[in-house]
Amino acid sequence: MNDAAARTEPDQQSFGEYRNPFGAHVPVSEQFHTVTIPDAVRRCRWIAVDLNAAAFSLYQIGPSAERPFLAPCFDSSYPDMAPETKQIAGKDRTGIVKHARKSTAPCFWTDGPSGAGAIDGLAWCRRIDPLAEGTTGMAFPVHADRGSGLAVFFGPDIALEPHDLFEIHARCFSLFEAVTRIRRRDGVTVPSISKRELECLKLTANGYTSEEIARLLKLSVHTANQYLSSTTQKLDAVNRMHAVAKALRLGLID
Amino acid sequence: MTSLAIQIEPDSFAGRLASRGDLTSFFMTLTAEIGADAYMLVSILHDQDQNTARILASNWIHDAIELVGHRLIASLAQAPAVAPGTRPRRLAPATAPDAAGMMSGEQAKLLDVLGHGEIYSLRLYVGGQRYFLLFSASEAGKIRQEALTGAQLRCCYALSQIPALFGSDATQDRLSDRERECLVWVSEGKTTDEVALILGVSSNTVSNYITHAIQKLSATNRAMAIATAIRSGII
Repeated sequence: MNDAAARTEPDQQSFGEYRNPFGAHVPVSEQFHTVTIPDAVRRCRWIAVDLNAAAFSLYQIGPSAERPFLAPCFDSSYPDMAPETKQIAGKDRTGIVKHARKSTAPCFWTDGPSGAGAIDGLAWCRRIDPLAEGTTGMAFPVHADRGSGLAVFFGPDIALEPHDLFEIHARCFSLFEAVTRIRRRDGVTVPSISKRELECLKLTANGYTSEEIARLLKLSVHTANQYLSSTTQKLDAVNRMHAVAKALRLGLID
Repeated sequence: MTSLAIQIEPDSFAGRLASRGDLTSFFMTLTAEIGADAYMLVSILHDQDQNTARILASNWIHDAIELVGHRLIASLAQAPAVAPGTRPRRLAPATAPDAAGMMSGEQAKLLDVLGHGEIYSLRLYVGGQRYFLLFSASEAGKIRQEALTGAQLRCCYALSQIPALFGSDATQDRLSDRERECLVWVSEGKTTDEVALILGVSSNTVSNYITHAIQKLSATNRAMAIATAIRSGII
């Protein structure tokens, strides 16, 4: 195996920390400080710089199985949107969406005279049809607890060393994670709900009926129902189904 | 065995993984590269409120698996697991058995004796499918933490190449657009009759769509179906 010196190397040689051109890129701080979309755009720009890419865009993959499409989150022209981004989002993207649903392997493409010598032949990467005509680029499938996405980087001079591939992809993953979290709590105030009420709601979300909840929590059925209806009211929902959906979207239950 | 594995670069498996045997040698190589002794790939089965682990590949001793139990393996795999891009957390059963509050001191001692003195758990995404990978070593500090992110993504890529091995049932059970639409409206608090009115179909049809959606999501009722759909990002 490796020699002892390599093993005792300090932890901070983990991905990302030593490559940021702005000197501020530490995974831990990246995670906790991405609270707005501009933060996320900045982070994505750092990744693009490390890839030597000229432009980037981040997409969420639409949930529909029948009409596969990519919904743009943001791109390098933020707060505007570049024509390339619209072009990619506007078309049927069956190929790449299918790939991203089944596989985590990065993709690359080249179209036109500019060669992709620097990314061609990278281990684990797959060549695909160009996402935008006349460009060279890479697409990284990313996944989070709630949904999948695609981080796309363009530019004729894109270059990537084999051992940097994992670091770049890992950073795309954590960026997407952060973006899905931003979208979820965008501008909402969370009502105060008691521990007991949350417990009842959680069990409802797990498929239990009021009777079963009453038995599990050693309550009377009336009390369980009372808890559930007060939660429904507090969440400004019209029925239990609505309350469960709202609580999940607000992150009150998991 | 290990000395042989070291000669091979894990990346040399790219594009060549086709069988379970290939996967085993890939995992052995990777395990040696990061300084670990053992690996275990599991998927988690949700059974109402209990989770159990389904072991897909592993070089743990059979008796060790039996002694530790699938329930504990499930919590070992799940609780500390991090997605790619997050620094992995180390679990050291012998020194801090109750760090994650998931096992008794006896179970911790057992793990230590069986050669799992330090454990890292990683979350793997293969498309939308989620798996968990445990790397363990006999003594704390043996696993090179800085190599874990690379190992984690390599595993994602490797498993992506052979989805057929694990039977990707996710694609079969995908909801149709109509079923999804009904669920979205129900999650907005609409009743069956209201959804029927919105979509311009009969309420029996709506009930049918929802029943199918509940079955596909293997839920027991509407509330659970909605919860499952939101959790997996379908609606």
